[in-house]
Amino acid sequence: MKESLLDILRCPLDKGELELEDPEYDDDGEEVIGGTLVCTDCGESYPIDDGIPNLLPPDMREETPA
Amino acid sequence: MKLSDRRDIETDVYQPAEDSRLLADAVCDRLEADTDDLVLEVGTGSGYVAGRIADETPARVIASDLNPHAVRQARGDGVETVRADLVSPFADDAFAAVAFNPPYLPTDPENEWDDWMERALSGGEDGRAVIDPFLEAVPRVLAPDGAVYLLVSSLTGVDEVVERAGEAGFSAGAVADHSFPFETLTVLELFR
Repeated sequence: MKESLLDILRCPLDKGELELEDPEYDDDGEEVIGGTLVCTDCGESYPIDDGIPNLLPPDMREETPA
Repeated sequence: MKLSDRRDIETDVYQPAEDSRLLADAVCDRLEADTDDLVLEVGTGSGYVAGRIADETPARVIASDLNPHAVRQARGDGVETVRADLVSPFADDAFAAVAFNPPYLPTDPENEWDDWMERALSGGEDGRAVIDPFLEAVPRVLAPDGAVYLLVSSLTGVDEVVERAGEAGFSAGAVADHSFPFETLTVLELFR
């Protein structure tokens, strides 16, 4: 994900703003490929997997149909 | 891409079909976007519709899907992706347009097969199990003069969807349609 995407990403639970923690960047530094997005209101954290932020609410995150 | 990955995609991710093309054509035709406009495609699947909008309009396009295989395929094709439930992780008033080709097939609960392809296709018993929550949630993330492009099928009931959209504060107009032997697909443009 591009870091500028943070402007429009919010916590799915309370719409709080998200802070990027422990970011890993790709070789040219343009994309965030790993790290965690943390809600500045409720503290819930959301992983960035292979450059894709997973902003499913925590109770949906484990849901994996066969 | 490895062959095994390709096989996973074919079984786990809805691939572009007539409905995808109809929606992409309609959005690219109707959208009057500037370079600083953001467009969201909900339930992007393969990323086909989002990719078309990104290629054919000046807007920056973000694509979301519940399905981890879908967001990976779409990102692999250069689409900016977020794994999300409908519009829940996006800021208020963020988007000039939101496009959605929802799961809309009415499905007997006895016949639900509980995999990613079923999630991509099934709209529950009335076909609107995903459309109704989407219509309730989407006004929050849409800019005041923004538009929603929603693909619906005659199998789902276009009039019922227009009525629900009205309850969510939208006026609706049909901007594209295509008839097949068993259904007619319509793209609705919703605005406030």
